Amino acid sequence: MMASYHPPTELLAAYAAGTLKNSYALCVATHLEYCSECRAAVQRLNIVGAELMEDLAPTEVSESVKSAVFDRLDQIEAGQSSSPSSSASPIGSAFVSDVGNASVQATTAPSEPAGNVPKSLSYFNISDFSSLTWKKATKAISSSRLFCDVNDARVELLRIMPGGSLGKHTHIGEEVTVILQGSFSDEDGVYCRGDFMIRDESHQHMTVATNDAECICLTVQDGPIQFTGWFMRLLNPFLRIMWVRSAEPAY
Amino acid sequence: MLTKRVLETQQEDKSQWLRDLMALVAEKRDRVAFGQLFDHFAPMLRAYSLAQQPGAHLIADEIAQEVMIRLWEKAHTYKPEKAAVSTWVFTLARNYRIDMIRKTARFVDDVDPSRLWDEMEDDAAEPFQALQEKRAKEQVHKGLKELPVEQVQVLAKVYMEGKTHQEASDELDLPLGTVKSRVRLALRKMEVVLRGSE
Repeated sequence: MMASYHPPTELLAAYAAGTLKNSYALCVATHLEYCSECRAAVQRLNIVGAELMEDLAPTEVSESVKSAVFDRLDQIEAGQSSSPSSSASPIGSAFVSDVGNASVQATTAPSEPAGNVPKSLSYFNISDFSSLTWKKATKAISSSRLFCDVNDARVELLRIMPGGSLGKHTHIGEEVTVILQGSFSDEDGVYCRGDFMIRDESHQHMTVATNDAECICLTVQDGPIQFTGWFMRLLNPFLRIMWVRSAEPAY
Repeated sequence: MLTKRVLETQQEDKSQWLRDLMALVAEKRDRVAFGQLFDHFAPMLRAYSLAQQPGAHLIADEIAQEVMIRLWEKAHTYKPEKAAVSTWVFTLARNYRIDMIRKTARFVDDVDPSRLWDEMEDDAAEPFQALQEKRAKEQVHKGLKELPVEQVQVLAKVYMEGKTHQEASDELDLPLGTVKSRVRLALRKMEVVLRGSE
C-alpha cells in the first residue's frame, strides 16, 4: 500500500544532502521503505547533488594521492585487510556502537527483521514488536525507547491499543511520526502504514488508534507532549518529569 | 540550437563513457579504467570536501582517496540502470562525509547513521527507470543553469557545504522559512519534486 502523507520537500532534500540528523533520517529512511514515490524523489535529489558536485571548480590532485590509492588497491588485491581508515568504513563496522551491550551485536550480523519491522530498524535488532520492552505511559499507550539524538530528541516506538487515544495534546518543539503498523486518526485525517507526519506547537490534536488493531509508530520528539484536555492536563507535570528523566542516557 | 544539441550529445557521451569504465572496473578489475575514473572524479571529490572545509587540503586528499577506494570495492554494487556514475559517486562521497561527521561529533547518539543512507539505494528496479533517470539528469543539468542565483546558492549551501537549513539561514541572514521555500521552489522548477502541496 502506498503511503499518502510524505515528508516535506526540504526534509527529503536534507536527507539526500546528508545534513539531516540521525533521528529524522531514521524516520525518512523508514518512510522510503513504504513509499516508491519518495524513493524516486530521493533518486532525483541525489542527481541534484551530483550535478552540483560536477559544477564545483575542480581542484588539482597530486600524483602522490593517486599513487597512494593504487598502493591500497595492491593491498586489497593481495587479500590483506586494507589500511585502518578503510577497515573502519561502514561496510565493516556498521554495528559497532557505543551502547553498552554492543559488543554482542558487533560480532553478529543483525537478524533480518521479520515481516512488519522495517529494515531501517535492523540496527536495533528488533525481531518483532511484541518482543520489545514496552513501558506503559497511560492505559492505552506504551513506549519503547530506541535512542536519544542530539538536542535530546527522543526516538521511540509507540504502541497504541485498538481504539486507544492519546488525548488532546500539542507539542513543545517538533514531533515526527511514521506509522509502522495499524492506523490512527486525528482532526486532519486518517494515517496508515508508512505515513509520515510532522507536528509542532501550532497543532493541537487528538490522536486515536483505529478500533480494529493496535497501532505502532516510530516517533521523534524534540520536546515533551503537552496535554490540553481538561483531565489529561493534570498529567503534564508528570510527563514533563518523565521526559526530563528519560532524556538522560538510558543505558 | 545546434550547439545545444552538441552539448547534450557530449553529456550523453560522457555518461556512457563513465558507465563503460565502471563496467570494466566491476567486471575486469581494470586498473586503467579505474585510473581514468580517478582522474575524472578525484578533483571533484576534493572540491566537494573543500566546499565544506575550506583550506583543509589534507582532509580533501583523504576524502578523494577514501571515496575512490570505496568505488573500487563497491563497484559490483553499482547499477547503471538506476543512476549515472556521477550520481552514485556523489552518494558515496556524501555517505563518507556522514561517517566522518559521526566519528568527530561531540554528540554520540548510539546509532551508526551510514545504514540509514545505504540501504535504500539498492531496492526496487522499476521499468523505464533508466529512461526516467536519464531524463531527470538532463532536466537537473539544464535546470540548475536557469535557476535564480539565490536558489542555487541555497542548494549549494545544503548539498556542497553540508549546512543544515538552520545553518544556511544563519549564514545567509535569511529567515528559516525563506531558506526552505527557496529549496522547494528550486526543486519544483527542476521537476525534482513533483508534488505541489508542500
